[in-house]
Amino acid sequence: MLLQGALSGLALGGVYAIMAVSLVLMARLIRVINFAVAAVGMFGAYAAQAVVQVGGGGITALICGALIGAVISLLIGLIITTWLAEADVGARSATTVGALLLLLSLSFVLFGTAPMAFRPIVTGSAFTIGSVVISNITLTLLVSALLIAAAAKAVLTFTMIGTQLRAISDRPITAELLGLNVAALTLSVWALSGLIVTLVIMVVAPVQTSDASSLALLVIPATAAALFAQFQRLDLALIGGLGLGTMQGILAQMSGTQVLRDWLPLLLILCLLLWAQRRETWDEAR
Amino acid sequence: MKRVNGAAWVGGIAVLASVCGILASMILPSYYLYLSITAISVAVILLGLGLVSGAAGMIVLCQMSLAAVGAWVVTWLNASDAPGSYLIWLLLATLVSALVGGIIGGPALRLRGVNLAVITLGFAAAVSGTLVKFQFPGTMTGQRVARPDLFVSDQGFFLLCCGIFILCAIVTHFVLRGRLGSGWHMVAFSERATAASGHNVAWLKLTAFAVSGGLAGLGGGLMVGQVGAAYPGSFGVVQSLALYLLCLILAAQYFEAALIGGIMWVFIPELFKQAGIPQDWGLIVFGIMGIQALASGTTIGGGLRGLWHRAEVPNADSAPIHDVDWIRPIATSGVLDVSGLSVSFGALKVLNDVNLTVNPGEIVGLIGPNGAGKSTLIDALTGFNPRHEGVLKFGNHHISAISVPRLAQAGLRRTFQQDRVPGALTVGQYVDLVSNNASATDEVARVLAFFDAPRRNHPISGIDVGTRRLLEIVAHLCARPQILLLDEPAAGLTGDVRARFARQLRKVPATFGTSILLIEHDLNLVRDVCDRIYAIDFGHVIASGPTQEVLGNASVRAAYMGAVA
Repeated sequence: MLLQGALSGLALGGVYAIMAVSLVLMARLIRVINFAVAAVGMFGAYAAQAVVQVGGGGITALICGALIGAVISLLIGLIITTWLAEADVGARSATTVGALLLLLSLSFVLFGTAPMAFRPIVTGSAFTIGSVVISNITLTLLVSALLIAAAAKAVLTFTMIGTQLRAISDRPITAELLGLNVAALTLSVWALSGLIVTLVIMVVAPVQTSDASSLALLVIPATAAALFAQFQRLDLALIGGLGLGTMQGILAQMSGTQVLRDWLPLLLILCLLLWAQRRETWDEAR
Repeated sequence: MKRVNGAAWVGGIAVLASVCGILASMILPSYYLYLSITAISVAVILLGLGLVSGAAGMIVLCQMSLAAVGAWVVTWLNASDAPGSYLIWLLLATLVSALVGGIIGGPALRLRGVNLAVITLGFAAAVSGTLVKFQFPGTMTGQRVARPDLFVSDQGFFLLCCGIFILCAIVTHFVLRGRLGSGWHMVAFSERATAASGHNVAWLKLTAFAVSGGLAGLGGGLMVGQVGAAYPGSFGVVQSLALYLLCLILAAQYFEAALIGGIMWVFIPELFKQAGIPQDWGLIVFGIMGIQALASGTTIGGGLRGLWHRAEVPNADSAPIHDVDWIRPIATSGVLDVSGLSVSFGALKVLNDVNLTVNPGEIVGLIGPNGAGKSTLIDALTGFNPRHEGVLKFGNHHISAISVPRLAQAGLRRTFQQDRVPGALTVGQYVDLVSNNASATDEVARVLAFFDAPRRNHPISGIDVGTRRLLEIVAHLCARPQILLLDEPAAGLTGDVRARFARQLRKVPATFGTSILLIEHDLNLVRDVCDRIYAIDFGHVIASGPTQEVLGNASVRAAYMGAVA
C-alpha cells in the first residue's frame, strides 16, 4: 500500500522536481523567484487542449502549447529585464505574482473555470514492481526530471554558455561590458523554462485535478522543493521535488489525512526555511 | 501647532466622509448600495494589507485567507448558538484573526522578502483547500447570520460599514504617523538600522501582521453580515493575489487609497459585467495594473499624497545656528574598552586580537584600507556579530551577549556606511523614531541646525544621500548616547559642507557629552577632528597613538599607499 502510494506520488514528484530545478536556475541566474512558472505551463496546456478542440492533431497541439508557454514566459522575462532591470528580487518576483494572476484570470476568460479533460499524451504502463504498476507517465516524468537536472548542471559547469550565464548573474554590468549579450541569454532562459514546464504540465495534466488554479498552484510544492535546495543546488531541488511527491503519494493512501495533504507543503516549507535560515538574524546588506 | 492642524484635518475629513456615506445610503439604488457594502468591507481588508505590505514592506499573499478566518469565527459562533450577537462576534473575529495574523508573522521574524511570499502563498492555498472541503460552519444546515437590529436594512448595514471604515481609517492614520508607523517604514527600509536605533524588529513585524490580520478579519466578518453566510469562493487564492496587486497599485496603507481599492474591487468587474464581458477581465486589469505599478515604481496612493504635500506650504527655513547653547555632562567612567577582540568568518580571521579604548570626551579615529576589518569591528561592538572572542566593556558592563536594541538604548550607538534613512518618513518622524523621543522638539530643531540639516517637516525623499547621512548622525545624537560609532560619515559630503561638518563634529563631545569612534577614509577629516587614532590592516592593529604620530607612521603609510617603508 505504502509502496503503491510512494510510486504513484513519483509522477507528481517529477513535476515538482522539474519546476524546482527551473526555479533554482532562475533564482541563481536572473534574480527572480518565478511564481508564474506553473501558470505558464497551465496556460500552454490549456491552449494545446483548445487546439485539439478545434480539430488540431495531437502533435500540432503539443507544439502550439509548448510554443505558447515559451512565448508567455519570454514576455514575462521581457517585462522584467526591460523595466525592472535594477529592481531588487522582491519587486522582480512580485511582477511574476502579477503574471500568475493575469494568466489565471485570462484562462478563466478564455477556457472557462471548469476542470478540463485533457487528451493524454503518454499512455500505458511501463512495468510492474511486485503488484504495483508503474505507468509510462511516471517513468517519463521521472526520467525527464533526472535528465533536465543533469543537463542543467552540465551546461552550467562545463559549457561556455554556462560560464557566461554565471557571469551575468554575478556581475551583470561587468558581463555586459565584456560584450556578452545579457538580454539574449536571460531571455533564452525564460523561454526555455516556459517551454519545458509547459511540456511537463501537458504530460501530467490528464491524470491531475486539472482546473486552472490547481495547475497554477503547483508552484507552491515546487517552491518548497526549491527552498529545500536553498535556491542554490540543483541536486537538492531534484531530491526535494521527488521526496515531496512521494510523501504526498503516501499520505493519499492513508485515510483521514485529507486536510494534512493540503497543509503538507506549507508545513515542510516552514520547517525547511526556519532550519535553513536559523542563523540569518539580519537582513543581508550590511 | 502642526499636530492640532493635523487632527483638525482628520476630523474634518471624517465628518465629510460621514456625510458622503449618509448621502450615498439615501441616493444609491439598492443594487449599487449592496455592492458598495462589499466595496467598504474590502477597503477595510485592503487597509490592513497596506499596513503590512505597503508600510512594513512584507510580501503577504494570504490577506483573503485571514479575512476567511474572521468570516469563519462569525459563522462558527452563529452556528454554535454562542451568546452575544453579530457586533460582539465581529469584535471577536477581529481579535482572533489578529492573533492568527501574528502567528503567520512568526516565521517573518527570520524570513524576509520572497521567502515570506512563499509561506503566505502556501497558507492561502492550504486555507482555501480546507475551506472547500469543510465549508463554513452553518452552510450545510442553512443557519444564516442575522444583522443587528439597528442595521437590518441594506441602508443601515451600509452605514455601519461606513462608520467602521472611518474609525479604522482614523486609527490607522494616527498609528502610521506615530512611532509604530515610523517603525514599520523603518523595518521595511532596513532591519539593521531599526535595531541600531534601539527598536525591537520582531515586535514591529509582529504588530504589523497582527493589525493587518485584525483588519482582514473585521472585513471578512462584515462580508458575512452582508450576505448572511460565507462561501469559500470569496476567499480563494486568486482573491488574495488580486488584493496584493491592488495594494501594489494603490499603496493601500493610505485610507483614501484603500477606499479607492475597495471601489475598484467591486466596480471594475461590474463594469465588465454590464458590458456583457466576463467579470474575470477585472482580475486581468488588476494584473496588468499591478505589473505596470511595479515597472514604473509609482502608486495611486503615493501620487495622491504627493499632490497633497505639494499643496502644503513648507516652514520658512530659519538661519542656521552653529552653536547649541546647552551642554551635557561628559561621562566620568571609561566609555569603551575592547581587549583581545577576534572575529573569524570560517577560516578567515577578519579581526585578530584587537585592543582599543575610547575615553570620555574623546574622538578616536579608526583607519585602515578597504577590507581591513573596520566595519566588522563596529558590528562586533554594537551586537550585530555575537560570534566573536574577547572582552568588550561599555562603561563597567560586559556587552558581548547583549542585543543590538538594548545596547542602543543603553547609549552605545552606531551609524552605517550605506544610506539607512528611509525616504518614506519626514525628518521629524525619523529623528523622533531613532532618538526614541529622548530630546524635546525644540532641542531636536537646534541639533538639526547645528549640522545644517533640513528642518522637521521636510520629507526625507527629497534629501540627497550625503545630507541623509548627516541626518542619521543628528538623530542618534538626539538619543543622547554616551558613545557614537560613525562609519564613514563624510562619504558623500563635498567641499564647504565637509569642512563645516568637520568643525561641528569637533564640538560634539563638549556639546553633547558624547564620545566618538570615527571610521573614515578621508585622512584630512581624521587629522582635523581626532584626538587619537588606531590604524588596522588585515585585522591587526598596526599602530595607535596621537593622530599626527600614527599618520606619520611608516607601516601605516605602507598599508595605505602600498609604498615600501
